[in-house]
Amino acid sequence: MTGTVTLSQAQPRRATASLSVTLMVNGAIHDLFIDVRTSLLDALREHIGLTGAKKGCDHGQCGACTVHIDGRRVVSCLTLAAQAQGYDVGTIEGLQGVDGALHPMQQAFIDHDALQCGYCTPGQIMSAIACVQEGHAKSLDEIREYMSGNLCRCGAYVGIVAAIEDVAARTQG
Amino acid sequence: MTDVPFPNVPREDARQKVCGAPIFGADSPRPGLLHAALAVSTIPKGRILDIDTLAASATPGVRQVLTHQDLADLQLPGFLLGGYGFQNFQPLRSPDIAYRGQPIAVVVADTFEAATEAAALVRATYAAEAFCPTIDSPGVDIVDQADTPMGQFLTEPVAADADAAFAAAPIKVDIELKCPAQHQNPIELIATVAEWEGDTLIVHEGTQNAEGVRHGLARVLGIPAGQVEVISPFVGGGFGQKNSLQMQTALAAAASRRAGAPVKLVVPRTQLFQGASFRPASRHHVRLGADVSGTLLAAIHETDAQSSRIDFFPGEYAATSARLYGWSAFRGLHRLIRTDTQTPGFMRAPFEHPACFAMETAMDELAYAIGMDPVDLRLANDTILDPITKRPFSSRHAGTCLRRGAERFGWQARSAEPRSMRSADGSFVGWGVALGAYPGMMVSNVVRLTANSDGGVEIAMGAHEMGQGMRSVIAAVAGRKLRISPGAVTVVIGDTRAALQQPTAGSWGSASAALAIEAAADAMWKALAKLTPDGVVEGRSPSEILKAAARDSLDVETMVKPPGQPDDVFGLLRSGLVSRAGPVFDDCVSFSFIAHFVEVHVEPRLRRIRVPRVVSVADCGRVISPRTALSQVRGGVVWGIGAALREASETDPRYGGFLNADLAEYAIPVNADIGRIDVEFIDEPDGLLESGVKSLGEVSLCGVAPAIANAVFHATGRRLRELPIRIEHVM
Ligand code: FES
Ligand code: FES
Repeated sequence: MTGTVTLSQAQPRRATASLSVTLMVNGAIHDLFIDVRTSLLDALREHIGLTGAKKGCDHGQCGACTVHIDGRRVVSCLTLAAQAQGYDVGTIEGLQGVDGALHPMQQAFIDHDALQCGYCTPGQIMSAIACVQEGHAKSLDEIREYMSGNLCRCGAYVGIVAAIEDVAARTQG
Repeated sequence: MTDVPFPNVPREDARQKVCGAPIFGADSPRPGLLHAALAVSTIPKGRILDIDTLAASATPGVRQVLTHQDLADLQLPGFLLGGYGFQNFQPLRSPDIAYRGQPIAVVVADTFEAATEAAALVRATYAAEAFCPTIDSPGVDIVDQADTPMGQFLTEPVAADADAAFAAAPIKVDIELKCPAQHQNPIELIATVAEWEGDTLIVHEGTQNAEGVRHGLARVLGIPAGQVEVISPFVGGGFGQKNSLQMQTALAAAASRRAGAPVKLVVPRTQLFQGASFRPASRHHVRLGADVSGTLLAAIHETDAQSSRIDFFPGEYAATSARLYGWSAFRGLHRLIRTDTQTPGFMRAPFEHPACFAMETAMDELAYAIGMDPVDLRLANDTILDPITKRPFSSRHAGTCLRRGAERFGWQARSAEPRSMRSADGSFVGWGVALGAYPGMMVSNVVRLTANSDGGVEIAMGAHEMGQGMRSVIAAVAGRKLRISPGAVTVVIGDTRAALQQPTAGSWGSASAALAIEAAADAMWKALAKLTPDGVVEGRSPSEILKAAARDSLDVETMVKPPGQPDDVFGLLRSGLVSRAGPVFDDCVSFSFIAHFVEVHVEPRLRRIRVPRVVSVADCGRVISPRTALSQVRGGVVWGIGAALREASETDPRYGGFLNADLAEYAIPVNADIGRIDVEFIDEPDGLLESGVKSLGEVSLCGVAPAIANAVFHATGRRLRELPIRIEHVM
């Protein structure tokens, strides 16, 4: 059907579309039947039960929801769950080794006390790992710039930069 | 106990936090969870005439839509000072609208998406009334604080005749300053998960005051407090915004009861700008009088601060500014301006940050008026006696903070003339200094301490972890007192099921916890002594004694109150009410101090103001947890940079409400805004408590903003007396 639908002719939508989505998160498969509008963040938190990624704004403004998609950092609140189908989603819960060993970035966050309340921390760590992998951790100023999408209201920035510098120095040898 | 500094060890819960493992309020998973969303008022004042929920109710997945027609039986929580709510107002209790953005309906649905969609479909028609949204609104009501109920327990600080001394002073500074409304914006949104187990309501919510939320809910819902439990083991930042019963908690609870299922209500960031407290806007009139040698003769600090039409949110600005220096005459005055907003509240250093901005800007102006170095002027007016009560400070190392800071910063290389220092890229360089102060307060507590024969110790008590490192402090004090490793201490806090909870605010957390644990540990040693044949516990660990006595564990419960408080404070504690002691005690006055030295660069063309380095030296008594204390001060400095250069909540004078109501438009400091922050602690034990600890979390922010403003003056020659300072002010 073509043509213009004026507002008065438009009927209120009576059914909300749901769809089946298969997500691969931290190497595990999850079959979901969810509202099409479900963000990747809400899919992780409300449907899969992985609450490490946090909601601080739901608008892409704070970075608390940062996860990896095929190793790249994305804000999961601005990513529809359906868009993540077919990709590898990585969250904070997937960083530890099978033996419980911490990822070097997690250890560096402890060593430099790069956190306070811990609410922004999962997003900071996911972002920090990507920051190093992207090659954006070559100087303190570069780290500060490329970590500025992750807000920390507790103000743990000095520790966060030190932790990333520490890991980057070891990674880049 | 205080002779030896505490070791620098990792934060107790750091491993959990880097794994994303802590369960915050909205993380608590449960089957059958429903989701709620709020519809809010689009007018600032008036009454709802009609509310149309048909479209919302017809949205697929929606279970119920509740309005004032459904929830008229809710009661008022009472205002925090004497009650439980951040304001004495409960949305949906009546058709009255007190401020723009006030909730008018709560939608409960199977999914977050459906609830959010439906909430946007609620429509109301209103009878609007005239309103005054800002402290500058024409016709706004201004009252003297002394004439309000607050006047009974907040007396104005006065010493001698400050007006006469000022009039006679040969050198005078007489200035007016302004601080904007600001929002705390912890990254964790305010959120509630409410569920009923029979008649018992269980609430998961990030709060600094689980007991207050419990009793407040009981009052609003009309049920006994014994039927409410509040669980808040981790708070994703509080900063004062989470210090009381929020407006959505009872709504989630009522919705859950009707739905017969647990309900999650996460308040969106935009709604939080009206849905919770904020730092009130304030105007300051400061007068300083001195002689030509730089001796301060008089100080007068008068404040007009924003309050709401609903409550009298008090001003306590001069209570801190009065304690900065040893002036012989001082007078404070507070007036409250009643705007049609939600009630403002406590935001990190609620009065002390604006008070220090006002007074420390004036001190810098005085230094230039006299032609004296700003550090020297401050040192010349240091004091060991509180100028208001004439009692000694419990400890005061403000002078040492200034001297050590100056040395660490390299202050002596400063040329005093404004616009006289440049960086290699041509930026104007400014160096500024300011002192910060914050009162030392304490609250009572009930501690349950259990020692186990396996060497472990469990502590359940009233305290909350909001990032300040509460578990580290508790474990460090308990470890030292019980001669065990802090790692052997399990800390249960923020849970009304485990112990009576005290509000964790006002930087009294560490002092109160240390006071309580010391008493509990003493009681534990006494109880252990009774288990030994010879009554000797020296040289033995609790687990050795327990094993020798063939006991698995030993429990002691201890009630502890701060020095000088009457026994009936425990009654307040049991009712979830605040019972703070200090900063004035029987024979001393307790304040923490900090000196900040700041370098700013003002770029020659764009005029961007950058803060490449800050040196801060803090006098917070004995540092119990060096690692987390360092982070507290760094965080406070970041807050000060935000307060000085970024943050203001813009009120819409036409329609009410806050305009820049999200994290993109309310600019808090980002990583790239922060340079080097060097922190040093005096680490000298204070005399008031065995632990020697004083307050820290909030003093760390006090004085940063004036140090920056003073540095901007030094860089540009512009004296800026209104925060925040932005590019357009230094063009
Ligand atoms: S929650 Fe996604 S960026 Fe804030
Ligand atoms: S650690 Fe609290 S927001 Fe970053």
